[in-house]
Amino acid sequence: MWTWFYKLASPPHVYTAAAALAPWFLGLAAIGIGYGLVAGLVFAPPDYQQGDAFRIIYVHAPSAWMSLFAYTTMAVAGAIALIWRIKMGHAVAAASAPIGASFTLLALVTGSLWGRPMWGTYWAWDPRLTSELILLFLYAGVMSLRSAFEDPARGDRAAALLGVVGLVNVPIIHYSVLWWNSLHQGATVAKLGRPSMPGSMLWPLLSMLLGFMLFYGAVLCTRLQGEVLNRERQAKWVREAIQS
Amino acid sequence: MGAGGDPIVSNGFWSMGGYARYVWPCFAFACLVLAWNLWSARRYRAAARLRAARMLVMEAGVDS
Amino acid sequence: MKVGAWGAMILVVRRELCLSFRRPDQLLQPLVFFLIVTTLFPLGLTLQLSLLRDMAPGVLWVAALLSSLLSLDSLFKSDADDGTLEQLALCGQGLTVIVVAKTFAHWLVSGAALVLVSPVVATALGIPVGAFSIMMLSLGLGTLTLSWLGAIGAALTVGLRRGNVLLSLIVLPLAMPLLIFGAGATDRAISGVSPAGALYFLAALCVFTCTLAPFAATVALRITLE
Repeated sequence: MWTWFYKLASPPHVYTAAAALAPWFLGLAAIGIGYGLVAGLVFAPPDYQQGDAFRIIYVHAPSAWMSLFAYTTMAVAGAIALIWRIKMGHAVAAASAPIGASFTLLALVTGSLWGRPMWGTYWAWDPRLTSELILLFLYAGVMSLRSAFEDPARGDRAAALLGVVGLVNVPIIHYSVLWWNSLHQGATVAKLGRPSMPGSMLWPLLSMLLGFMLFYGAVLCTRLQGEVLNRERQAKWVREAIQS
Repeated sequence: MGAGGDPIVSNGFWSMGGYARYVWPCFAFACLVLAWNLWSARRYRAAARLRAARMLVMEAGVDS
Repeated sequence: MKVGAWGAMILVVRRELCLSFRRPDQLLQPLVFFLIVTTLFPLGLTLQLSLLRDMAPGVLWVAALLSSLLSLDSLFKSDADDGTLEQLALCGQGLTVIVVAKTFAHWLVSGAALVLVSPVVATALGIPVGAFSIMMLSLGLGTLTLSWLGAIGAALTVGLRRGNVLLSLIVLPLAMPLLIFGAGATDRAISGVSPAGALYFLAALCVFTCTLAPFAATVALRITLE
């Protein structure tokens, strides 16, 4: 029953699975993002408070969500690798990091651009933007630490530990900033009109979210193939794998 | 829906209710990030394949 | 001579303190840095005490953070370089005991020293005397937490060539909640509002970090030293 789990630890299996899954993930992602863009940009009605500017949510919210999701994946994969010594965990963690960091940057930029019409400023110490900024620093720390070691295996393990420490801190950071921000709240932060979104606004958002997640899966699988090859260069199965 | 009936071609769509210079750069940057991810991942994989192929060639050279 | 865990900790703390006091200039450098950095802010911003008072908690805390970072690099480095750390790891007491002792000793000479010097700096920044006790309490809790966060960072970067830059990159984001609540507690004490909430959160952060960080730092040392 656990064979599928053990297979996940086997590099050739991970490589072939990633190679097979990537195009599927990409295709489904294209559908999800395509529908989300069209429905969100064209057919969703403008928000009664924010007008058409609210449509930025269709890239801002999914990228923010994915930045956290990717960090969690990175930290959990690293933890699995540390605890059970499954090297493929390090490969997943290393592959996730740059993708997650790029999503964090996207969330920050889109959040900043959204803030300009809403709050009148390109930057505000809004709790979510501030937490995202700190998350970007956490990503930078993990990626820098991994590459600072000459021995890549040691770098992997150090980065995995830092990832876990960072993960534990993410809720602390978020709630600290939220608490601090609620004390400093000057101008009211414009939220999205009503407490719940109507379907015509919500479905494109969910589709974009799903699309982004599938896209992350596709890019992860591609990067993962590279990571596996880099770590397993000496192995015999690599010969057949790269000739195919 | 715009008064013209077809929302895509009418002016209202591209101006995004006046917020065009915030909305469109956001989506453009999003496209950029997604494209970068794909390109960077593929380049990484290609470089890894190249390194692995080179190692195999070197090993074959050493053995022979 | 058999020593228990407590005995070993006391021995290591005494050793660390001995070594630190043998190089008084290295001991004083972070403190002097603290004083210098705090001087930079009035010079760069404003000379009026009434205006400085508003920014004082933040300035104090940023300076404390930065000067603590300076001294963190030496937490494990010299012992790792000459092999003492490996000997200590093998001595049978368990690496965690050693790590706790070293970090505590480090806090005594850096963080605790900072807390003692803080009234001087606080006066220079216009913080009223009435807020001193809260300020020192929050600095005490904060520097202790920071010593532990720094221990994890130092353990991860020991042996790396440009480790101290990376150390700062790693530790500072983790220390941001500390900054928020530490400065917040002092700020509240200055304006007369009850600092209890911020202090409780700071204390919770401290307890949380002091309980979990030793294990993280030990694992980190095992990763980087083996």
